[in-house]
Amino acid sequence: MTTRDLVLVGLFAAFIVVLGMVPAIPTLVPGVPITLQSLGVMLAGTLLGPKRGALAVIVVIALVGIGLPVLSGGRGGLGVYVGPTAGFLFGWIAAAFVAGVVAEMLDHGNRVRRFTGVFIAALIGGVLVLYAAGIAWLALYTGLGWSKAFFGSIAFVPGDALKAAIAALVTVGVTENYPIARK
Amino acid sequence: MIGLASAPETSWLRRVPAGAKLGGLLVFGGAVFLIGSATVLAFIAGAAALFLRSTGRPATALARDLAWPIGVLLFVLGATALLDDPGPALVSFLRLLAILFAAHAVTLTTTTAELMAAIEALLAPLDRRGLVDAGRVSLTLTLAIRFIPVIAEEAREIRDAQAARGLAAHPLALAVPLAVRVLVRAEAVADAIEARGFAAPRNGGVISGAVSSPGAPPRPGHMGPTIKDGNE
Repeated sequence: MTTRDLVLVGLFAAFIVVLGMVPAIPTLVPGVPITLQSLGVMLAGTLLGPKRGALAVIVVIALVGIGLPVLSGGRGGLGVYVGPTAGFLFGWIAAAFVAGVVAEMLDHGNRVRRFTGVFIAALIGGVLVLYAAGIAWLALYTGLGWSKAFFGSIAFVPGDALKAAIAALVTVGVTENYPIARK
Repeated sequence: MIGLASAPETSWLRRVPAGAKLGGLLVFGGAVFLIGSATVLAFIAGAAALFLRSTGRPATALARDLAWPIGVLLFVLGATALLDDPGPALVSFLRLLAILFAAHAVTLTTTTAELMAAIEALLAPLDRRGLVDAGRVSLTLTLAIRFIPVIAEEAREIRDAQAARGLAAHPLALAVPLAVRVLVRAEAVADAIEARGFAAPRNGGVISGAVSSPGAPPRPGHMGPTIKDGNE
């Protein structure tokens, strides 16, 4: 980690926090804004790569722990660590890491192939890995059981799959303007 | 805004060291999982609620702080009780409620600076073994906190500029320029930190690893600090 990597990690963590503050997608249910925080987690992996991406997410999680309201909806504090959805929070680390690893492998070729590769990366990390962690925590920690935890969570999958597509478009768009090595 | 030790200064829990509170929370969290009786757990959850109230934060503010996590817990309780066995569902609900109350009491009575210091103290043994560089961890956390308002302001600027051109809010239109600005700014900030003589990274370890200090590798697509460090 050079000083530059360190600063990238710190500033990207701030970027993830900010994405949680702006209601970006108008929703059908008023008062329930869909924020782009999980998009930020995917982008951490697909733009910064596995190591720095996971570290940026760890920084956000540390900020939650020290009581700052950095999660979407102004949530924060140690209560989040022990809450029923903590698996989705800690799952972000693995999500960003895996998205970074897969993006490294698949992000090649022309625009369409790059988009497809990064989309798959964001989908595997930000949906598959993330929901595995979130559902496992929900099922085991709250005693909800596997099937109910699963069916209670998959309602959010379409939204996150859409964000994976946005993450791929953003990643291709950003790197065309500002190439950055994933390492 | 929650956090930032929003309980009144006079709260007795404010005077307990952060490390002791975190350790106590850990022990408490483990202990409630050893108890299987709903009656005992209801008693413990009630005690935890009183403990939380003893921080002096008004009940209405506490209700606002905890509405979301308690809502999710109630949903889980309802789902499990209806579709499954209500007994274990209640036990699990009371357990998590008690931990939630205790954790929130710690958050309310500990400042961010105290918790940062606790993190550094926790990392100290790793630092001595050269696994982690506590100073660099601390710098990274501080940078993140410092730049949240700066990046939020940039997000607002981008939004305003697009609204002025008659463009509706669109996630892509926001995220791409914002991400580019973050990457460019990181470059400028890193240069500024190095110019001020911040210690070169040590070798080995998670946060300190990697080489490349003197002859740093060519920076891909370095466009220079096109965005001035304004805003401040």
